[in-house]
Amino acid sequence: MAGRSTSAQPLQLDWATVQKYAIRAFGFTILAIVLWRVITVGLAEGYPASFWISQALNGLVLGGVYALVALGYTLVYGILFMINFAHGEVMMIGGIAGFFALQFAQARGWMEGPWLVVVIALLSIMLIGMAASVLIGVTLERLAYRPLRQAPRLVPLISAIGASLFLQYSVLLIFGVSPHSYRKPELISGGLRLGDVFIPYTGAIIFFTSILLMLALYFIIQRTKLGRAMRAVAEDRATASLMGVDVNAVIVLTFMLGSALAGAAGVMLGFHNTVVKFNSGFIPGLKAFTAAVLGGIGNIPGAMFGALLLGLIEALGPSALGIPTEYKDVIAFTLLVLILIFRPSGLFGEVLSEKKA
Amino acid sequence: MLILESVHTFYGHIHALKGVTLTVNEGEIVTLIGSNGAGKTTTLNTISGVLDAQAGAIYLERSANGGQGRAAATGEPGIRLDRLPAHEIARLGVSQSPEGRKIFARLSVKENLAMGAFARSDADGIQSDLARVLELFPRLEERLNQPGGTLSGGEQQMLAIGRSLMSRPSILLLDEPSMGLAPLLVQQIFQIIREINARGTTILLVEQNAQAALQVAHRGYVLETGRIVLSGDAQQLLADPQVAEAYLGI
Repeated sequence: MAGRSTSAQPLQLDWATVQKYAIRAFGFTILAIVLWRVITVGLAEGYPASFWISQALNGLVLGGVYALVALGYTLVYGILFMINFAHGEVMMIGGIAGFFALQFAQARGWMEGPWLVVVIALLSIMLIGMAASVLIGVTLERLAYRPLRQAPRLVPLISAIGASLFLQYSVLLIFGVSPHSYRKPELISGGLRLGDVFIPYTGAIIFFTSILLMLALYFIIQRTKLGRAMRAVAEDRATASLMGVDVNAVIVLTFMLGSALAGAAGVMLGFHNTVVKFNSGFIPGLKAFTAAVLGGIGNIPGAMFGALLLGLIEALGPSALGIPTEYKDVIAFTLLVLILIFRPSGLFGEVLSEKKA
Repeated sequence: MLILESVHTFYGHIHALKGVTLTVNEGEIVTLIGSNGAGKTTTLNTISGVLDAQAGAIYLERSANGGQGRAAATGEPGIRLDRLPAHEIARLGVSQSPEGRKIFARLSVKENLAMGAFARSDADGIQSDLARVLELFPRLEERLNQPGGTLSGGEQQMLAIGRSLMSRPSILLLDEPSMGLAPLLVQQIFQIIREINARGTTILLVEQNAQAALQVAHRGYVLETGRIVLSGDAQQLLADPQVAEAYLGI
């Protein structure tokens, strides 16, 4: 900036400008390496199309789950301008509750019963997971965030990280370190074979359930009175209260919605990964946060799209880059760094309003 | 209908209202005038519960039906507003159209109006009030599905007033409705204020445009650094040499 305005003088470089360009250069280097790997390794490998399609479908399934969690981050951010870093744990607790519900159902033989019984049991398991997450989410809001509403913005963030650790280690203490394994009922263990592409039933169910829940959320926010109140509170809390909106109730409702989606995600992730334990919310939580940032934090369609995109990138990335799949987490977090460097407001991000900036 | 008894309000350590006492009777337009920083907006926000009164009392008298019992039992002149949160005050029929309009920019005009009726559940009444507001502000009807943020300043002011009316308020608090508007629009807004009042809504009007405000009001109060320094009949205040010098720019 300085160099452009004072054309008479030689280019002036203050420290901030140097930093900015150094960070950009770092970002471009990463991009160049990625591109080079894709061309020289990924494409040279010559995988068949069916392989890529299977990977992409996997990615969409995972992306759907991320989307449900990412919506929780974005909803809360939209209203409180804080990142609920304990949201991954809210999801994990849904998964744990779902595990016990599943165990209960299995012990009674419902999982081997007629298909209608199995479907109802699965739905109930998901609802129990959602209910557990809602309980935890609302408690968090009341105990960890509401007392800090007037505090500087960093304070509730730290409280959230504390809550995240507290929840992880409480679950560790109560339920132990060994993973709880989700056993799929016979009914949904198979899959569909389309040519060379295999689609597992669980994947398809998870994907469509995610889409259904997202549509439900979108309907609530865009078409109902409570959704309208949520959008009004997100824009201007004081004015919304002048309209008779109980702002605290709306904030609680927001946590309930976000937590319910996370609980559903927790149960579905349990079936997808086949296990759940005390720290199984941590990495997916960070991924979902990345997805929310990718789409533009605070932006609801952005979170959905960002999550599906992240799922795809994560599923296709290791093969395209020729790296082992265990390193797929690196891809997500590198992506986060790149977004923060090049487009901090996200793909769908709007220019930050005065209030948020 | 609305009574403030020596109300004190602080902004942090700033003593913004130093014992404001005023009354608004049913059916009146009362105006609160004063220069920048005198505490006009603070007064309205204290009534609405956006700010807390540290001392003093604010009462809302309920006309004939409802509310009377509670007040009579305690021997107070009405319901104490200063102990209620903002959303409950709004639900009692005290509606503020805030300074700077505060339209929900991303909500459509229709949704903004619906927000005004948030506390109501009588669908028929809401529908007829919507018709009434659109009759009062025909411009809004053309723009019902546009985001509120795309409206011009004058249209936003109309929307802000319309939104307040959608709550079917017993008392309407208007904060600087003429601010930033072209002279022709200012005239129109004051005409509409008179019309709203003629249809039975009590109004407390805060204005920097003292001349126009006093012309439309029945009574007025002059606020100076957090204190009421003068009050009386609007015509009387218009003729007051002190007021003329300080606020009418004569």
